[in-house]
Amino acid sequence: MLEEKPILRLLLTWMYNKELFITLFFLLPLCAFAQECNKTVKGSVLDFSSSEPLPYVNVYIKETQGGVKSDSNGNFVLKNICPGDYHIVFSHIGCDSRQVFIQFKNDTTLTISLEHNHNVLHSVKIQDKNGRSTTQNIEQLNKQQIGDKANDNLSNMLEELTGVSTMRNGSGIAKPVVHGLYGNRITILNNGVAQSGQQWGNDHSPEIDPMVAKRIRVLKGVSSLQYPGSNLGSVVLIEPDKINNEPHLHGTASYFFETNGRGHGTNISLEQFNPKLAWRVNGTLKKNGDRRTPAYFLNNTGANERNLSIQLEKSFKNKLFTDLYFSTFNTTLGVLRGSHIGNVNDLKSSFNRSVPFYTEDKFSYGIDAPKQNVNHHLFKLHAKYYKNENHFWDVTLAQQLNNRKEFDVRRSGRSDIPAMSLLQHTFFAEAKQTLILKNDWKLINGLQFTFTDNMNNPETGILPLIPDYRSYESGLYSLINKRVKKSFFEFGVRYDNVFQDVTAISSDLPRRLLFYENWFHNISANAGWTYSIDDHKQLSYNVGYATRNPAINELYSNGLHQGVSGLEYGDTSLNKENALKTTLSLNLDFDHHSAIEALVYYQYINDYIFLEPQSEFSTSIRGTFPVFNYRQTNAQIYGFDLSTNYELLENLTAKGTFSYIRGKDLTNDAPLVFIPANNFTLGLKYVYPKSIQLGKKVAENLEIGLEDRYTFRQTNLNDDQDFVPPPAAYNLLSAKLAVDVQLRKNRLRLFMRGTNLLNAEYRDYLNRQRYFANDMGRNIVIGARLKF
Amino acid sequence: MTNKISLFAILLSLVMISSCKKDKTVIPNEEEVITTLNYTLTPVGGGTTVTMTFQDLDGDGGAEPVITGGTLVANTTYTGALELLNETETPAEDITAEIKEEDADHQFFFSTTVSALTVTYEDQDDNGQPVGLQTKIITPLVGSGQLTIILRHEPNKSAPGVNTGSILNAGGETDIEVTFDVDVQ
Repeated sequence: MLEEKPILRLLLTWMYNKELFITLFFLLPLCAFAQECNKTVKGSVLDFSSSEPLPYVNVYIKETQGGVKSDSNGNFVLKNICPGDYHIVFSHIGCDSRQVFIQFKNDTTLTISLEHNHNVLHSVKIQDKNGRSTTQNIEQLNKQQIGDKANDNLSNMLEELTGVSTMRNGSGIAKPVVHGLYGNRITILNNGVAQSGQQWGNDHSPEIDPMVAKRIRVLKGVSSLQYPGSNLGSVVLIEPDKINNEPHLHGTASYFFETNGRGHGTNISLEQFNPKLAWRVNGTLKKNGDRRTPAYFLNNTGANERNLSIQLEKSFKNKLFTDLYFSTFNTTLGVLRGSHIGNVNDLKSSFNRSVPFYTEDKFSYGIDAPKQNVNHHLFKLHAKYYKNENHFWDVTLAQQLNNRKEFDVRRSGRSDIPAMSLLQHTFFAEAKQTLILKNDWKLINGLQFTFTDNMNNPETGILPLIPDYRSYESGLYSLINKRVKKSFFEFGVRYDNVFQDVTAISSDLPRRLLFYENWFHNISANAGWTYSIDDHKQLSYNVGYATRNPAINELYSNGLHQGVSGLEYGDTSLNKENALKTTLSLNLDFDHHSAIEALVYYQYINDYIFLEPQSEFSTSIRGTFPVFNYRQTNAQIYGFDLSTNYELLENLTAKGTFSYIRGKDLTNDAPLVFIPANNFTLGLKYVYPKSIQLGKKVAENLEIGLEDRYTFRQTNLNDDQDFVPPPAAYNLLSAKLAVDVQLRKNRLRLFMRGTNLLNAEYRDYLNRQRYFANDMGRNIVIGARLKF
Repeated sequence: MTNKISLFAILLSLVMISSCKKDKTVIPNEEEVITTLNYTLTPVGGGTTVTMTFQDLDGDGGAEPVITGGTLVANTTYTGALELLNETETPAEDITAEIKEEDADHQFFFSTTVSALTVTYEDQDDNGQPVGLQTKIITPLVGSGQLTIILRHEPNKSAPGVNTGSILNAGGETDIEVTFDVDVQ
C-alpha cells in the first residue's frame, strides 16, 4: 500500500496535519469519463475522538443549496450530482460545523470526522497516526469555545477548565494558575514558541491573542520535556490551525458587544490555500471602558487591544513543509485609579472603605495612569522535513520582542514617563528529530537554544526592580514511547544549561554597576503509563522530576514593587529548586451517557523559592514599607480535579466539577500563599435536537446552558501572611444561549452569554484589586460569527 | 540534511557572536526622588530658629534615614516653612518648587501627639484650598511627643474635613510620611 504514491502523499499530509480534524479519504474512483448529472456521493461521518459513527448529521451542499441527513449509522448518500467543485458543510448537534471542498468527476465515497464540542468534559485524547495517546492529562478549549468567549482574555478563558485558576489585577490583567503554580513556573507556548516576557510579575498578563488559536490546551500533569521552560509546572499551548487545503478565499468575521465596560470587539480571519503559497491573516480589535461592580464604576479599568497575525505555508515536493508566522500583540490596560497607593498606611486605609478612592459615577473609555502599555511581536520560521514516513525533522527559529511600559501617577507631568520600562528580546532555535522505529517504538530527540536579553530603559528615572541581564539556555532532550497491548509507556530525559550575565545597579550610594555571572545545570526526567481498559476507560500514571534554577527576579529584585507597595529583595545565594510531581488520572466514559474524569496530583518541591514577608518594616521618606525577601523552603502542593457529566434526559446534560488544592510550607509548617481557593461548578445544558426551518435558512444546534460556580473562602492561610484576611466565599451564576444558522452560502453563529447574573458583590483571593474594590458585576455579551 | 544542521549551527553561532556586544546599563537619573525634608520653624517674636530634618539619601530601602527632631520654646508662635530637596543631584534640586507649581494636586497634613500643639495652614492653592508649605505652629506650655508630616499627591481637597487638615477622607498617594520627636520646654 505504502508504495502507492497518492496514498503516501495523503499519509504525509496527514502526519503533517496530524491533528487535522477532518480526514478525507478519497477511495478509488469507481468509473470514469461520464459528465452527466447522475453521480452519487456516498459517505459516512465519524466522531473524531471515538471514531464511532455520528448519526443524523446534516450534510449541506452550498452550490446546490440542498442536502440530506445521515442515517442512524452515520451514512449518507447524495444522488444526482453533476461533476464539479463543491463545498459541503457537515453539522451536528454539539459539534463545530466543518466545511469540506471536493472536486469530483465520478461517484465518490467520503469519510468525514467531526469533533465534538466537549462543553461538558474538556479532557481530550490526543492521538498520533498510530492511534496512540499520550500519558499526559490534557484539557482543551476548541475554536468554537474560544469564539464564544471572544470578550475574554486568555487567562479568563482558561478558567473554565478544571484545576485552572486566574491571578488578576482587576479584570483586564490576568495570568493563568495551574495546580497552584504560575509565572516563572508555567510555560506558555504560543504556536510552539515559549512565550517570553516579564513572567515574574503577578500583574503581567501573557501577551497572546487567543483568537488566533484553533485550540488551546493545558497539559496539567507532569509536563512533557520537549517544551522549553521550567518543566515544574504545567504547559499552556496556544495552537493556530493549519491552513485548510481549499483553493478559495474563506474566513470568519466576528463581532461582540458586552454590557459591562461597554466593550466591543471584532476579529477577522481570512485564508486561502494555494500550492505555491497558502496564507492566513487574523486581526483582532478590542476595546472596553470602565468596568463596573454591582454598586459603582471601577474607574480607569478600560483596555484596548490591537492584534494581527500572518501565517504562510509552503510545501516542497511533499517532503519539506515550511511555515512562517508573524504576530503582533499590542495592548493598553488601565489599572483601577483607587488601587494606586504610596506606602503601607495608604494600603491599610483603603481596606476600611466601602468604595475606593477616586470613584466617580461616570463611565469613561479613557485610560490614564496607572496603566500598562505592552507590545509583543513574534516571528517564527518552522520547517518539517520528511526523510521518510518514519523519520522526520522539525527546525524552528523564532524571535520575540516584548516591550513593557508601566505608568504610575507621578509628580510634575511625569505620569507620561513610564515608571517601569523593560525591553526583552528573545531568540529561540530548535532542531527536533522524530523516529518511528521497529516494534512500534517512537523516539523524539531535540536540541534547543534560547537567548534572552532584558534591558531596563533608564527613561523611568527610577531604579529598576529587576536588573538588566542576558541569559543563554541550551537544552537537550530525548523522549521515547511504546504501546504494549493495552498499555502505553513514555519516558523522557532533559538537560538544560543556563548561563546568566547580569548587570545590576547598587542600592547603596554611590550608585554603581554590579556584575554577576551564574551557571546552572538542570536535569529533568519523567515517566508515564496509560492503561486502556477499553476505548472509553483509561487509567494514567505520571511521575516527573525536575530542577529549576532561580530566576532573575528571585536572585536580584531590589526595591519597591509599586503594585504591592512592598520592598522586594532577591537573594544571590539561592539554590536550584528540585521538584517531584506525580499524577494519577482516571477517565471513564459510560456509553456517552455519563462520564467521570478524576486527576489526583502531588508535588514536592525541595528549596521552593517564595517571597517571605519580614517582621520588620523599612522606613524611608515615603513612610514605612513592608519588606519581602526571597527565601527557600521545602513545600508540597497536592489536590485533585474532578469533573463529571450525566445525561438526565435525552439532550439534557448535567455537569459538575470540583477542584481541591492545598499548598504547604513544610519547613515552617505554614500554608503557601497565593494558592487558589477550592471551587465547584454545577451546570445544565440543553441542546434542541432538531433543525428549525426559517424560510430558506436552517437554524441548528440551538443550545441553552446554565452554570453556577461556587468558590470557597481560602481558609488555609495564617494571619501574618497577608494584610487582610482572604475574602469570603462567593457564588457566580452564568448562562449561555447559542444557535447556528445555515445561510445560503455562509454559516452564522449567534451567541449570548451572561456572567455574574445575580450581580453578586464579591472579591477573589487571587485578585490584587480585592484590597481596594469589589469584582465585576453582571456582564451580558452578545456576539455573531460568520463563516464564509 | 547535513546542510540543514550546519545552517542551524551557523545561525546559532551568529546569535552567540552578535550577542556578545554588551550594551551598557545606564544608571537612571533619579530626578523625582525626594531625599530630604527640612521643616524650619521661626519664632514670630524673634528667637532661635529650629530646623527638623529627615534625610534619606539612598531612597527606598538601603541605609536607615537620618532624622533630627527639635526642641521648641513653650507658649510661642512659630512660622513653619517646608523645604524638599533631591540631594542625589549636585547641586541639590529643590523639589519645593515642583510642589508649588502643582499645589492644587498636593497637600501636607500635620498630626501630633504633643497635646495642645496646633498647626494651621498659612498658604492656599489657586482654588483657595490649603497646601501646607507655609504653616503656623503654636506651642503649649509644656509637652513632648511626635509630629508627623504627610504629603499626599492628588488628594480630594473638597472631601469633608480635608481643608482643615484632616487626612481621613483625603485619599491620594503618600509621597512623604515622616515623623519627628518634638520637645516643648
